[in-house]
Amino acid sequence: MSVLKMLGTAKLTSADERYSTSELVRRLLALAWKFRKDCLLSVGLSLVLLLLGLAGLQMLGVVIDVIRHALDPSQHVPVYPFGWHPPDDWSPLQIVTALALAIMAQAILRAALTYSYNMVTARLTQGEIVPELRAQLYAKLQRLSFSFFDIHGSNSIFNRVTGDVQNTRLFVDGVLLQGLNMILTLVIYGIFMWRIQPALTLACLSVSLPLWRLAHFYSARLRPGYLRNRELTDNMILLFSESVRGMQTVKGFAAEPHQIRRFEAASDEVSAQQRRIFWDLSIFTPGTQFLSQLSLVILFAYGGWLYVQGKIPLGAGLVVFAGLLQQFTAQVANISTIANSVQQSLAAARRVFEVMDTPVEVENKPNAIKPTRLTGQIVFENVSFGYTPDKPVLKDISFEAKPGQIVGIFGMTGSGKSSLLSLIPRFYDPHAGRVLADRKDLRDLDLDAFRRQIGTVYQESFLFSNTVAANIAFGHPHATMEQIERAAKIASAHEFIAALPHGYETVLGEAGVDLSGGQRQRLALARALLLQPPVLILDDPTAAVDARTENEIVSALREAMAGRTTFVVSGRLNLLRRADLILVLDDGQLIQTGTHEQLAHCSGPYHETALLQIMDLDEEGKAA
Amino acid sequence: MSAQTKSSPATNIAKGDRSAREAITYYNPQEEREADRAPLQLALIRRIFAYTKPYAAKRNWLFALTFARGLQLPALAWLIGRTINGPIAGRDLTGIYEYAAGYFALVVFTITNFHFRQRFALELGEAVVHDMRADLFRKLMAMPMGFFNRTKFGSIISRMTSDIDSVRAGVQDVAFVLVVQGLQMVVSAALMAWYDWKLFSLMVALAPIIWIVNENYRHEMSRRLRKVQESWSRVASTLAESVSGIRVTQAFVRHDVNADFFQRLIDTHGENNVGVAQASAVFVPLLQLKSQLFLGAMALLGAFGALRWHGWLHMDVGDLVMFFFLANLFFDPIQNIGNQLNQAFMAMAGGERLFRMLDQKPEWQDAADAKSLPLIQGRVEFQGINFEYKTGRPVLTDISFVAEAGQTVALVGHTGSGKTTLVGLLQKFYLPTAGRVLVDGFDLNSITSESLRSQMGSVQQNNFLFSGTVMDNIRFARPTATEEEIHATLESLDCADLLETLPHGLQTAVTERGASLSFGQRQLVCFARAMLANPRIVVLDEATSAIDTVTEARLQRALENLLRGRTAFIVAHRLSTIRKANLVLVLDQGHIVERGTHASLLRQQGVYARLHREFVSASPQN
Repeated sequence: MSVLKMLGTAKLTSADERYSTSELVRRLLALAWKFRKDCLLSVGLSLVLLLLGLAGLQMLGVVIDVIRHALDPSQHVPVYPFGWHPPDDWSPLQIVTALALAIMAQAILRAALTYSYNMVTARLTQGEIVPELRAQLYAKLQRLSFSFFDIHGSNSIFNRVTGDVQNTRLFVDGVLLQGLNMILTLVIYGIFMWRIQPALTLACLSVSLPLWRLAHFYSARLRPGYLRNRELTDNMILLFSESVRGMQTVKGFAAEPHQIRRFEAASDEVSAQQRRIFWDLSIFTPGTQFLSQLSLVILFAYGGWLYVQGKIPLGAGLVVFAGLLQQFTAQVANISTIANSVQQSLAAARRVFEVMDTPVEVENKPNAIKPTRLTGQIVFENVSFGYTPDKPVLKDISFEAKPGQIVGIFGMTGSGKSSLLSLIPRFYDPHAGRVLADRKDLRDLDLDAFRRQIGTVYQESFLFSNTVAANIAFGHPHATMEQIERAAKIASAHEFIAALPHGYETVLGEAGVDLSGGQRQRLALARALLLQPPVLILDDPTAAVDARTENEIVSALREAMAGRTTFVVSGRLNLLRRADLILVLDDGQLIQTGTHEQLAHCSGPYHETALLQIMDLDEEGKAA
Repeated sequence: MSAQTKSSPATNIAKGDRSAREAITYYNPQEEREADRAPLQLALIRRIFAYTKPYAAKRNWLFALTFARGLQLPALAWLIGRTINGPIAGRDLTGIYEYAAGYFALVVFTITNFHFRQRFALELGEAVVHDMRADLFRKLMAMPMGFFNRTKFGSIISRMTSDIDSVRAGVQDVAFVLVVQGLQMVVSAALMAWYDWKLFSLMVALAPIIWIVNENYRHEMSRRLRKVQESWSRVASTLAESVSGIRVTQAFVRHDVNADFFQRLIDTHGENNVGVAQASAVFVPLLQLKSQLFLGAMALLGAFGALRWHGWLHMDVGDLVMFFFLANLFFDPIQNIGNQLNQAFMAMAGGERLFRMLDQKPEWQDAADAKSLPLIQGRVEFQGINFEYKTGRPVLTDISFVAEAGQTVALVGHTGSGKTTLVGLLQKFYLPTAGRVLVDGFDLNSITSESLRSQMGSVQQNNFLFSGTVMDNIRFARPTATEEEIHATLESLDCADLLETLPHGLQTAVTERGASLSFGQRQLVCFARAMLANPRIVVLDEATSAIDTVTEARLQRALENLLRGRTAFIVAHRLSTIRKANLVLVLDQGHIVERGTHASLLRQQGVYARLHREFVSASPQN
């Protein structure tokens, strides 16, 4: 938490400034380039589909003209497409039959190709790009320092791996592929119509510009509206869920009427804001339809005139035009969707790349030594450390923990206790000085092999929603049942686990069994002991439990600490007084060292706390 | 289950074998899921429909508008056909302009209609949902505490979100779309039959095929979507716990195992997503194929009908043109109606669950003739109280005691001994199964909850704070309190400095799980909140977390200020609190096993003395 406060404001804004748009586009293009084969295939297929569609429409137009000409020879002589001409001895019926069969064949071919186009795109995005990006992000996240997690918060990180990855992918299919598709469609259709009748093309396409403007205008207008709506709805749901979760507080203060008023105000606000969106939507959608219908009206009036003048045929001219116009206007309206996708994908890519580019603070040296089993000797030599260089959290700390010793760490909130602990498993490297294990600088040791020799119990232990066995075996998933039970026994957890509904296979967490604070801590202790580590780290393990539970944990710890070098942060003297060495920290400095007996009799923060905690019992003695 | 296990590699991991331990979260494929469809029920439809009553004018207009639209759409298509067959084929230029003008007029009419039809539908949907939200919230606020202990949070929240949303879709779409689509289908069918009933009867044969294909597609799609949801929920829970458990992962060097596992989950999820895409990749071209093939067939048939066949088989080219424009108006509704019916089933399921919650009878309510409690002194008496949450499982048995106004009562006992339930009864969160709770001689059963609780203040162990500022949270106890009053309250607790030194003072936001405030600060906000209520009786579930010594001392002082002159019930964890209590009740399995003051209880050498030894042995002087 302290890290959050220090870095919060400094780093939160940096994501936006870190990448220029051109850099983002370059990297996204590189991503697409990586999958160029599928991208090309997709574009190729959409081009073939486009041409097939044109051919089908053209043939249909010709069929109409052929029939009309056969019925009434005064009509326009049919013009055959693609340089094809039916043999002279074919009757109109034979020609139409041939063309109709060709249309059907075209339809079947198109269906097959549409299927493969959709599949290629789906595989490319959902089967390749998204899984790859997610796996990369996840693997990276696992190694990032805790401060990254504290700064960004769990929600934001979750969203990066989920929604942001999908939106990053959108650049490939929603921007690149769709964009190419749109350009191809507009150009090819445009040319095709132009070749039939340039003036008619211009007349009909004159609505494209206002259509595009309209789409643009409304998407710019609607987007903030939707965002605001999201916000208001989230707000309302938050109020709702907090009222349910905090029902005891609500009822305790007889605040039901107050909450109802607040909720209804929030709900009213959502409704009122929605009305504006509804208005916009109900102008936009009919407006778009109006414009595309308008182009039909123009087609009739002007095209009808052209036909009467004999300038264009009915089928291959008017009907084909009508068919093309619809698809053309659909693509024009699509422009603003693509433009939105650009915005969306760039914003998301920024957040995704930020994770990928965050340096892993602690990394293995190329020639790192794999340590054999450590004796447990840990030495701090003039160690200074801070989460930001200008704000040291630890200043010039030196001490030695001999193998098997218990080292207590004491200090007020924010004095640097947890930071000191986090240097031992090398979650961070000191800025100055060295941390040594068995006389070797931690930076020279193989990180993973070293960390496996350290067991850790945190203040409020995080247990996964998995079985008890899986939780204990977290550090070594292939541990045998015997190993798991042995660890549980040392941690005094075996008995309560055996009493659970399914013993070691009982599932914990949301839908599973809830454990008491003391049970959770003993389970966490078993987890830490599974690998029989020579070094044990206890970060205030009894902070969140009551006295009775504290007692349970302390007696469990007694056995666990035997034969290991143990570092324990605590404000409770009953844990500290067993320590061979107590380090008293104040504002990042080591101000006192000694045993409980020594420190309790020198003035200082330790002495004060001792007085306060002992006072209870002293008075007790007098009363009894 | 075994079939499922074989089908995908990821489900294997969930089995009880050793590799299950590589998973981050447990996966139970048989977990119960709420049904997303329910059959149409008249009573339910009527009840949902009743919500439109306040907006009857809008609703009736909407029916009229949709009716008009159902006629307008085929009329537009028909007019196109008429234009081509009439003036265009006849090379009648004025006719062309007249028809074009007519078409334009009809377009304007249709589009205007469309504006209102769309807006009214959206507004009606929102209005209904708005009222349902209000009903649901009021209902929840009226439910007694027991309901919230029994009911899963997730199932309450999904009433408000997904269920109400599916009802919304039902209200704003189903009925109206059915009107438009049905009418459009009937009118275009009639037109086509009128032009050429032979060709039309050929077409009708296609309708059931489209229906069946569409139904199959939807079933296949929902099956595949369920698979996606399943694999997604695994991905999401694994990801969420990986993020929350990052400290454990790094400390236990699980990066690689986790990354491998996640990769497998993601790959499975990707495959499932491609599976969904595949279902629509098959279906969408199939539907397109239908209309394209139909065009080809029509061209062929039309050619024969116009050029070769005579007599009753003969066809007119103009009719073919008509069919060309009308056919899709007949075919498209088949799909749309199918989809709307599905939407209706979902609305039924959502509505059913929503109304079931609205219809829940609270297991008790304030008596109809309950009186308002006058200003009290704070004398509390429990007379022979028994209580059970479930019949046959007594939680409290024969609890009797008296606390005089201004006294402090400490409740001591192991977890599950009934301490929290006892104070819950005092706050009238539950009604006793037998016996009476009296406050200043008034039986709680005969007074209103509101008048009782507004004279009480409570601080719970979990320090529940709402999102908003520190100030908002303190003000929660009395929304009308001014800023001065809140400052004065903090002063009277002698702790103003501890909160006012926060980054933004009292305007500091309380964030998710209160991360911006330390535990001690949260505790203090709760004290201030209770103090602002100026209660006669204070109920306090004492927090257990150790705070550093300085803060702890300040909190103790604040607590003393809070309790001064008030009757207090404290579920106590600290010796210092217990020692100062006027009455200590030692609870064991729902019975008061010992009572007295700290000193007298120690002398008894009973349960309390044993508990006390545990406290002491956990402390340094032993």
